[in-house]
Amino acid sequence: MMDAILNWCDNLLENDIWFYLITTVIKLVLMFAVILAFVVLSVWIERRVAGWIQDRPGPNRAGIPLTLFKRYGSKEKQPLKNVLHYFGIPETCWIAKLCTWLKLDRDIPTFGLMQPCLDGGKLFLKQENTPSYVRKIYFIIAPMLVLGPPMVAAAVVPFASSASTCWGDINMVVANIGIGPLWIFAISGLSVYGITMAGWSSNSKFPFLGGLRATAQLISYEVAMGLSIIPLLMMFGTLNMQDIVSNQAANGWTLLPLWGEGLSLQRWVMMVPMALSFIIFVTCVFAEANRTPFDMAECETDLVGGYHTEYSSMKFASFFMGEYAAMVIGSALVVTLFLGGWSIGFGADEALHAWCDWVAVICQFLMFIIKLLAFIFFFVWVRWTLPRFRWDQVMKLGWLVFLELAVANIFLTAAVLYFIK
Amino acid sequence: MFESAICQIIFYVFAALAALCAIGIVAFRNPVASAMNMALSFGFTAAILFGMGAQFMGIVQLIVYAGAILVLFLFVVMMLDVKAEERFCKLPLFIGLVVASVFAGIVTYVSLNLPGAGSFSCPMATLCENIDALAVTDTPAATACVQAPAGYGGSLPALDSTAANLAANPGMTPECAAKATGYPDVKLLGKTLFTQYNIAFVILSFALFAGTVGAVALARKIRKD
Repeated sequence: MMDAILNWCDNLLENDIWFYLITTVIKLVLMFAVILAFVVLSVWIERRVAGWIQDRPGPNRAGIPLTLFKRYGSKEKQPLKNVLHYFGIPETCWIAKLCTWLKLDRDIPTFGLMQPCLDGGKLFLKQENTPSYVRKIYFIIAPMLVLGPPMVAAAVVPFASSASTCWGDINMVVANIGIGPLWIFAISGLSVYGITMAGWSSNSKFPFLGGLRATAQLISYEVAMGLSIIPLLMMFGTLNMQDIVSNQAANGWTLLPLWGEGLSLQRWVMMVPMALSFIIFVTCVFAEANRTPFDMAECETDLVGGYHTEYSSMKFASFFMGEYAAMVIGSALVVTLFLGGWSIGFGADEALHAWCDWVAVICQFLMFIIKLLAFIFFFVWVRWTLPRFRWDQVMKLGWLVFLELAVANIFLTAAVLYFIK
Repeated sequence: MFESAICQIIFYVFAALAALCAIGIVAFRNPVASAMNMALSFGFTAAILFGMGAQFMGIVQLIVYAGAILVLFLFVVMMLDVKAEERFCKLPLFIGLVVASVFAGIVTYVSLNLPGAGSFSCPMATLCENIDALAVTDTPAATACVQAPAGYGGSLPALDSTAANLAANPGMTPECAAKATGYPDVKLLGKTLFTQYNIAFVILSFALFAGTVGAVALARKIRKD
């Protein structure tokens, strides 16, 4: 029986098409799970770091209360005491004190990680209030159009190198297409429809102004964003994200060329245009994700709540999640293009691959997650450090500074590539 | 076999949807609904291009038309808060009929003369099949075949993926080129555009540049102070 099942699986996987379909579905589920988990996690990071920067605790309490377990069957009043007693540890010992300090006698500590989950639950259970004057269909479609695109855009971000199995190689990217960064620009550019429609369909003044602002801002910064990575593409000579990252793993990260061919003079001179395009690109990612200092579209001092003023309950939560998903994808893109993506660096990738493919893949995945978390921290750090720009400043920065700089940067890169060998 | 079947399904499904949305653009009276239909239509056209393996063209369709131009349309429509059309065109009906039938005739003529139109398969799939079948046995014949059927545009770039990958990446080994998935369409397109059609490309850029300068000159308010 068991043999028959294993044989069947083996036969199924030996078929190229089925192998491709099955591995793709697994990667897809993994990618979605990571993105959704990161949306929740980045909300928590945002609040904890905000608290830390403003010298207050932030949500550090919300845990799983042990009274829950008492209610559902457990008659013991003090589980910690019983556990200590079971292992024969005295209550005055340092272990017990440490546990008490960690509040283990009251709840299972999650360091406030339960807070975003509870927030989600609250928003889910709240009463949904749709004003009578909205344009119904567009009002309902808009939140979907904001949350959907970032999720789809994640498909081209590589999260590890490839691993070989006995049925064939698995490339650790959901869609290994030859137009990686363009795909992300195109798809995440579609989320502007959601914001515009939310503003327009709400049929009231402030959301409308927010929608208009968002459209103008997103279009302006998309131009500079697209132009700013052209130097990078000129250097790597490919649009495939997996190839870009493999190149960085072998020859030094874009911003840290310390091994392989990265030690050449050309790469070190290239650091100047690369640093410039990094600054432009990161700023544009901030503007695209609608985050402070660029959150003109929902600037509460002049627009109440901006484009989502009329939304409540889960529809509002979709906008909220969409913003954080855009932030996660933006960070992933920056990490992939400039900070080496999944690469561990210093030649460790090749050494690990020579030892065991799967260990290498897991280490690279963890490395990617760590880099992503670090960059999300940077995102939050900027938000709580810089005040919001004025509207005309935002437009001036986009059209008069970044656009020109990005175009000049392309010529600079071409000169470096041509003259310095 | 499998690939060409997928190719055909994608082509017919998305072509039908794109045509439906195109009808929606003119059928809806609400300008925002028309604009959204146009966006959908562009999206489905991009999907057809993806299905044909022309990923770059598809993504450019999305970025330029759906992502930039149409958003600007929507922006203007919403900002001016254009109401649903109430006035109908006063032109006599038969003029509209004549124009529509001329266009329908052109489209029918072109689509009946596409390669593979007789066997009801999508043009790109047939082209790929022809070339792949020839490429295995006879490389010069395949190159001749991509000179395209008579009366159908100019010469097309070679679709033999191994040779194309080799040509686009000089450093590649033949084994690697054979493994590389798909055609390096970005590189092929770039090469064709910047060598064969370079002059036309530069002239077009100048035309666009002149247009931009003109728009700025017209839109700028001349200050008296």
